[in-house]
Amino acid sequence: MLLFLARRIGLMLITALCLTFIVFALTNMPAKLTTLAKTQAGGRLTDAEVQSWIVENGYGGPLLTRYGEWLGVLPGWVREENGEVVRGRCVDLYDDVEAAGDRCGLLQGEWGYSTRFQGEVDSLLGARLGATGVLMLWVLIVMVPMALIVGVLAGMREGSRTDRALSTFAIASTATPEYVSGVLFIALLASSTVGISPLLAEWGWIEGRVLFQGNARSAMDDITLSNFTLPVLTVALYGMGYVARITRASMTEVMTQQYIRTARLKGVSFPKIVLQHALRNALIAPFTVIMLQIPWLLNGVVITEVLFSYPGFGWTLYEAAINNDIELLLASSVVAVVVVLVTQLISDIGYVYLNPRIRIS
Amino acid sequence: MKDTLHTDAQQRVHPAAAMYAREHTEGKLSRREFLTRATALGLTATAAYGLIGAAAPAAKAQEAVMGGTLRMQMIIKAQRDPRTWDWSEHANACRGWLEYLVDYQRDGTLKPVLMESWEASDDATSYTLHLRQGVTWNNGDPFTAADVAHNIARWCDTTVEGNSMATRMGALVEDGQLREGGVEIVDDHTIVLNLNTPDIALIVSMADYPSVILHPSFDGDDVIAEPIGTGPYLPVSYEPGIGAVVERNADHTWWNEGNGAYLDRIEFVDLGTDPAAWIAAAEAGEIDLNYQAQGDIIDIFEAVGFPRSEAVTAATIAVRFNQDSEPYNNKDVRKALQMAVSNAIVLELGYNDLGTVAENHHVCPIHPEYAELPALTVDGAAAAAAIAEAGLADFEFELISVDEPWQSETCDAVAAQIRDAGINIKRTILPGATFWNDWTKYPFSATEWNMRPLGVQIMNLAYKSGVPWNEAAFSNEEFDTLLDQANGIVDADARREVMQRLEEIMQEEGVLIQPYWRSLFRNAAENVHGAEMHPTFVVDYVHYWKS
Repeated sequence: MLLFLARRIGLMLITALCLTFIVFALTNMPAKLTTLAKTQAGGRLTDAEVQSWIVENGYGGPLLTRYGEWLGVLPGWVREENGEVVRGRCVDLYDDVEAAGDRCGLLQGEWGYSTRFQGEVDSLLGARLGATGVLMLWVLIVMVPMALIVGVLAGMREGSRTDRALSTFAIASTATPEYVSGVLFIALLASSTVGISPLLAEWGWIEGRVLFQGNARSAMDDITLSNFTLPVLTVALYGMGYVARITRASMTEVMTQQYIRTARLKGVSFPKIVLQHALRNALIAPFTVIMLQIPWLLNGVVITEVLFSYPGFGWTLYEAAINNDIELLLASSVVAVVVVLVTQLISDIGYVYLNPRIRIS
Repeated sequence: MKDTLHTDAQQRVHPAAAMYAREHTEGKLSRREFLTRATALGLTATAAYGLIGAAAPAAKAQEAVMGGTLRMQMIIKAQRDPRTWDWSEHANACRGWLEYLVDYQRDGTLKPVLMESWEASDDATSYTLHLRQGVTWNNGDPFTAADVAHNIARWCDTTVEGNSMATRMGALVEDGQLREGGVEIVDDHTIVLNLNTPDIALIVSMADYPSVILHPSFDGDDVIAEPIGTGPYLPVSYEPGIGAVVERNADHTWWNEGNGAYLDRIEFVDLGTDPAAWIAAAEAGEIDLNYQAQGDIIDIFEAVGFPRSEAVTAATIAVRFNQDSEPYNNKDVRKALQMAVSNAIVLELGYNDLGTVAENHHVCPIHPEYAELPALTVDGAAAAAAIAEAGLADFEFELISVDEPWQSETCDAVAAQIRDAGINIKRTILPGATFWNDWTKYPFSATEWNMRPLGVQIMNLAYKSGVPWNEAAFSNEEFDTLLDQANGIVDADARREVMQRLEEIMQEEGVLIQPYWRSLFRNAAENVHGAEMHPTFVVDYVHYWKS
């Protein structure tokens, strides 16, 4: 078990290292650095000014050296004037020549500085991950029960009308990407000119102009039904279909088992068979799938957060990418790697406990 | 001494201003042109209106209501040293605590802010600035002439990357710094500026957004962390990409107490560049007004209960050729492409007719020195023949634009007409992040230009040989000489004669296709007042109020 954990964590570190190096190399291509200089120091800089900005701000060194600086294995760059250190990677981070050490990278616990948002990457990313955490929590609260109910109802009588109807719904929802469902939701529920909001407002059923808000920026301070429903629904609906399909498959399989037939022959009522005999066994597969679904949902979170202007992890990743915010992008990739591999780890370990026939070796 | 100077300044009407008044009564000058020119010469707006026998419009039709929170959609960009600001949004967020010497008003006049008055010598080589008395910084320091001298010296420092004020203050710069004797401090509230060449645009340049007056302790880094200014507000938070909050500063007595600072709190919400998100936020009741709406978006906002306000401007799009690149180094090619394009059609198709037709020389009828030239000829067949003659019948031209809808639609309309004339052309649309890397280098591309109050200002910024923003790579000796000459002519009629030749050179040399002048629009909820669209994107929230 320990060996397994160690191997998994080792794998995680290597993946993170490779990924961050690729991201680092891509974001440090000369054209990208020019973009950075122009967004930072003025869109209409001349080429000479851009070059001098790149050198002045420590982007001039060789790629590997600077990657080493970011990792903290090599000392950060410094610029001296008249023998005195005036600027440097560490000096800029700590804003103090005395307190700044030689190295200031990941190993020293420094995630760097975000050029887009003008702040320390770790506190920034922490806050944004928190916002996404809240969104994901609500997504899971909505998605899991809905998916399980739909899956169980569809799977208990394979081929029935209920099964056909619910399966169609599940397939449709999982086949609709967030950028489609999100826009549809906004048009249907969050517009005062089209969809159902104008009708409801006319009948006096809603107080405001729209049923739900098509913009979740205010959810940063205060989450309400009005501003959080649509983003949650958009992400949840996509994941729900998939989990419901897995649940249905698992449920139909359980329903063909010998012990279910025995129970029926004994005259146990159908609801009792489903709830007491079939359900527990049918839920093993969905639970691991739900864990694996989390990294997939992070994909949808990028689209949904941008669509609803909700500043979470996905929105930050998007902003960092379009503004070539190097250190923020690197930290985001580390977070992504950790999320993917940790959820896999949890599902692997969880599987062992749920299914004694499987052993980790 | 101080008193006599002031009386002098107020009584002495600049000779040119009196002449403008005459021109206005004779119908040669529109009221707007008259006001821009007269106030640039040091007249107060009231005095200028007085000269032409009109009463200055009442400042407020309704009594402003104190209090309230205003929420405005506006992009919040990472801050930096104000003299390197390149977006009006940088300045707009800070207008509550950082003030200017003068403000450019919606009606084309200049309003003194931290100056009480100013006057120019008749040859526009020397300016006397009378600073406002009784102004204090919000840290308690008195505001003095030394503070202004410090700011002017900062503006003139050409060694700072991206310092665009240095170009605006060109007449005060020598060897990359403020020229010796350029600023004379006469007393605590009087400054004399001695220019090395005549410059009639100096004062209007001081109303441009990067020219905020900063406290001498400002070290060039963060205007948010240490918000020392003279204005009535203070920043509460500032997060690029998210938003900014500004609140009235209770611990500071503003010099203009009672004439502004009505709102308690202003919240800027950065919703990115996708107008769909702005509309969603407006529908959700999350914003009271947008920053600027374009095209169909104006109508959609109106449909959801946000009426529009319009500002007529000299803002435009320059579909320019870079004369350093093949085949645009050939004048005949440039002129042929110009000839294939009807500017009126571009305005209609590319900008929904929300503006006025322009004449390919980048001087606007609302500029004081605008001279009317004969109408442009559009002849597709002649254009195609000229291209064939240049040996480019099979050449495929490429017109590059940024992915902003109105700009790419305008370029589509230009390219479609060139194509209709039988000339091969393809369109390339680049995302903003890539486009701005090389905006001065593309052989044939379109650039958005904001307005400047005087025609010569644009010429100085964009078409003088070798200036950084000369994206057309235009270099013409006669043009440069005449432009320098025009920069020193205070009399608008005399300047117009020179300007007429400048405009002709622009057309003769086929510098750019400049299809139209844009009107700008903003949509605001009905209970928001004083927040009409401004021709130079100024968000003067100090004077906004809510009922």
